[in-house]
This record gives sequence, C-alpha cells and structure tokens, in this order.
Amino acid sequence: MDCGTPILTTHALTKQFGRIRAVDGLDLSVCRGDVFGFLGPNGAGKTTVIRLVLGLIHPTSGHAEVCGHRVPGELQGALRHVAGFVDDPTFYPLMSARRNLRLLGSMTGPVSAQRIDEVLEIAGLRERADDRVGGFSHGMKQRLGIAQALLHSPELIVLDEPTSGLDPRGMKDVRELIRGLGAAGTTVFLSSHLLHEVEQVCTRAVIIDRGRVVVQGPVSELRPQNDTVRVLTDDQSKAGEVLRAQFGAGGVADDEGYLVVQAGEGAVPEMVRRLVADGVAVRAVVPAPEQGLEDFFLELTGTDGEGPAPAKRRAGLARLLPGGRR
Amino acid sequence: MTAGGPGMDGGSAHGSTLPRLPGSAAHGSTLPRMPGRAWGPLRREWMKLIFQRRSYLIWGGAFAIPFLIALALDLAGGDPHGGEGPLFFARVTGNGMYVALAALTALLPLLLPMAAAMVAGYMIAGEAELGTLRILLLRPVRRGSVIVAKWSMAMIYLAVGFGLMLASGLLFGATFFGLRPMVTLSGSTVSVWHGLALILLCCLYGLAAMACIVSLALLFSTLTDSSLTALIATVVVYSVIQVLISFSYFDWLRPWVFPSYFLEYVSFFRDPIYWTPILKGLAAFAAWSGGLTLAAHLLFRRKDVLS
Repeated sequence: MDCGTPILTTHALTKQFGRIRAVDGLDLSVCRGDVFGFLGPNGAGKTTVIRLVLGLIHPTSGHAEVCGHRVPGELQGALRHVAGFVDDPTFYPLMSARRNLRLLGSMTGPVSAQRIDEVLEIAGLRERADDRVGGFSHGMKQRLGIAQALLHSPELIVLDEPTSGLDPRGMKDVRELIRGLGAAGTTVFLSSHLLHEVEQVCTRAVIIDRGRVVVQGPVSELRPQNDTVRVLTDDQSKAGEVLRAQFGAGGVADDEGYLVVQAGEGAVPEMVRRLVADGVAVRAVVPAPEQGLEDFFLELTGTDGEGPAPAKRRAGLARLLPGGRR
Repeated sequence: MTAGGPGMDGGSAHGSTLPRLPGSAAHGSTLPRMPGRAWGPLRREWMKLIFQRRSYLIWGGAFAIPFLIALALDLAGGDPHGGEGPLFFARVTGNGMYVALAALTALLPLLLPMAAAMVAGYMIAGEAELGTLRILLLRPVRRGSVIVAKWSMAMIYLAVGFGLMLASGLLFGATFFGLRPMVTLSGSTVSVWHGLALILLCCLYGLAAMACIVSLALLFSTLTDSSLTALIATVVVYSVIQVLISFSYFDWLRPWVFPSYFLEYVSFFRDPIYWTPILKGLAAFAAWSGGLTLAAHLLFRRKDVLS
C-alpha cells in the first residue's frame, strides 16, 4: 500500500497461544489520515492484533511500527501518540467520569480541567461528568472510552468495536464523530464486525480471518464489481439463444422472466447490439442486485468456521480487488 | 449519545466544531513530560486506594483493636491470664504505653499480614479483574514503574494502618490507664518520650516485616487475574512457613525465612537495645522483599495482558 509514511504497520506479526496461532504472519499498513476499518468475524484475531500493536501482549515473532516507534521495543514512545481502548472500555467504578479522565489522562501528560470538559462534551457526557462510573450503562462507558482516547489529541486512535452496546442514535453519533476525526486529519483504526459501519465510515479497510489478512484496500474497491445484468426482451427464448452464443451456457440463467447475464466488464453495449441485430427488441437491461459487502465478507471468510476460505474463491476475488489484494 | 452534542453532530460537515480534535495540536509532537512525575504514579495509586471501600475496613480494624484490648483489660480489672498472657499484655493495666505494643503483638502475626496480602494482592490482579489494567497500560507508563508505584502504595497503606494502630493504642492507653515511664525487658526504666520512640521503632520494624508479605502478594498478583487467588496464595505460603518453623525438626529453616524474624522487635525493649537480631531481621526482610519484588517486576514486564 503506497501512502507515504504509514502510521501503523505490522511485519509478519505472529502470536501463538499454546497450539493456537491467533495471529499468523500478519502484514498490515495503515496510512496517515486513514479511517481504517479492521474487519473480521468473531475469533478472527482482531482484538489480539490490537493488543499486540498496543503492547499489551508480546508477539511470538514479528513486530509492529506505530507512529515511527517499533513495538514492543519502543512501546512507550509509541503510546505517547496513540490512544484508544481494547475490548470494552473499563473504569474505576467508584470514581466519577471526570475523576477517571483526570487519573488516566495524567498518565500521558498534563491535562486541563477545560480539556476534560471538552472531551466530555464531545462524548455527550457533560451532564453526567460528576456521577460515578459504576452507575453508567454500557453505552455510556463506550462513550467515556472515546472521551479518554481524545484527551491528548493523539495522532492515532484505536477503537475496538466502539458502537457495540449503543442504541441506534448513539451508533450514528459515534460514527459521525469518527468521520469528524478523520476529516480533521486524525488516523482512526476502527475494529468492527459491522460491515456497513466500515462502509459508512472508513476510507480503507482490511479483512482478516484466522489471524491472516484476507484482503485490504480502499473500501470503495472492497465491494466486488457487479457486471451481472438482468435482461428483458420481447422474445426471451430467442434472446436466450443469442446470449448463450455470446457468453456461453453458464453465463446466462433464467430468473422470474428475466435473463440473468454475467456480462463482464464493458460487454453490455455489444450484447445489446447483437440482440438488436438478431431482431430481438430489448425492453430493459438492468443491473442485477449488488452483492453486498456482507455477502462478500461471508464468502471471503467462510460462514461455517471450518477451515480457511477456499483458495479458489480467494483467487477469483483477486481480479475484483485491484489495489489491495494480499 | 445525547442529541446535540457539539462534537457528535459535527460529522465531516461540522468537523470544525469539534474542540481541539486529535491530529491538530499534538500531531507529530512529543507530549511534554509531567512536572513532578515521580509523585504522579503514587498520587494515582493513592486515589485508587481511597476509592475502595475495603481500604477503610482494615484501617478501621487497626484503629479498633487497641481500643478493644484496652477495654477488655480494663473491664477484666487486671491481668486476664494471671501473668501468663502474651508479651506486653500483662503490663497494660499498669501503663497505657503498652497498649500499642500489645496491639502490635496481636496484629503482627495475622491481621497485618492479611491486610498486606489483601492490598498488594489486589494491586495488579484486581485491576485485571476490573478490566482497568489494559486501559492503564495503554498509557505511556513503564510496567516497572507501575510495579514500584504499587509496591510503594501498599507500603504507604500499611504505614497508615500502623499509624492508626499506634495512635489508637496511645489514645486509649492514656484514656484507660495513663501514660507512664516504661520498664524495659532488662528491668531499667525509660521516660515516656524514650518509650514512645521505642514503640515507634517497633512499628517501623513491623512495617519492614510486612514488606515481605507485600512483595509476595504482588508476585502472586502478577501471576493471576484474580485478586482473591493472589490473597489466598499469599496466606497459604505464609501459613505453611509459619507451621514449618513451629516444629523443631525445621529449625535449620528458621534463619532463612522471613516470618522467623517478625517478633524480633522486642529487642528494642532491651537495655541497651540488642541490635543483632534486629539487623538480621531487617536484612532478611530486605533480601526477601527485594527478591520477590524483582521477580514480580520481571514477570509483569513479560506478562501478556489478556484481561
């Protein structure tokens, strides 16, 4: 991935827990200014990767580079430029939100009361600032987690499923906040298993499965290109013959009165010209419903959790993913 | 998220309304170090301690027990054991100065080691249990300094406990029996102020003894994510050592284990002070506490924080 100096990279990062290889030679690259989606099904190794990158656990082999500092070797240097949370954000339950922020913030550097008020305002917790965190809902703790991450205006913010437990309004607010952070030039590393969230918020993304990168690249390129069209003519039988002659029997199917054609990139004008030349009046050519990122994700990672995604699927996807295939 | 938070409804279109968004001021810079940062970790650990209810239970016990001793002996109207009681108890009714010493004798083998094991056992494992360990270690702090701060705070906590015990002992000793010049174990008499200094030295010795328990509990605290496990492991190890050295067969073990030296503070009450056992005890405490804390440090540095 060419993006000047990446803010976060991993190099053959590997973590083995006993016989289980949770992260397997992972190579990631996050560009400065990205809102980077980190996608994977449950158990894919997302949280383990975040723990490795932030120095909470030690790699079996490989390393990461975060804001120009090698992790784990120069962890303290890296952590001066990074903030965020892993798993659910947790706090001291008998202390107020404000006191928690003061205590955690002071570990990075001086933090003013005004800044604490600002981040509480951003997180929508200003009115609950002096309440004990023990009485907070899960969603409020998530928001406080974001507030503590913002305290020192870090270069890189790592958020592990920040919208989990939030109501729809809260989810929308957090996503807008993340977009706002990205617009202001902060790099955000957003771990999520919500594909539409990544589609809405992120500029680039990686999909991992079983501790390995399946694919990474710009989000706009992650969704497979859709070259399938549905064709309606005044003579579907004859049209079927013409189209099978052009695209082969496997490329054409009947579906509820339409002919579904895997036309391929740029082939639609030629298809229509041939139909018209053979005397078939074309009533409609419409794109087939798009394969969503969700389907694509399931196809890539497998849904049954048994063994890796078939190699031929991956190979087939290579053509769909010009910028980021790994 | 409440509706209308200025940052939250900013989005990309209103991004400029976000106050001091990340990536602006601190971009590419190194944050300044805190002034007086040596005290910062201690201050944070102190805040955590005073925001735990259990902290006050132990302190309450340390304050209450001298009062109960004084009250019980006063109600009994004299020596409850006919002169055969524990060290210093028999002298309490004649002189309130001995209340604090009697309390130290009563607490040092059990409550104080339990308090030390509880507070130090909670230090790492309790944070892991709560989930705050991971959010703590995402801040740019060295794990070594975390261990040092937590060890120091456990000792400060216990020092407060000793202070409360001493204050309570003197307060209720004075109230019930009055404070008078003390008779040493060698039979000589020392003034009230001299006696107070000796009692203070005894408490400091007891505190040094507790450093071993603190270090042992801290070691277990780094090995587990359950503070209760750390507490129980510490109490078991301590109890096993106590049981072993109570049998003459294991006399060879006595010089090597720290609980053997716990009651050596009585040597402060010989005239002149008999320093040899005291210094041996302090050396044993330093060696054990140092070794166990170093082990805790090394383990914590390599610990995978999965809590």
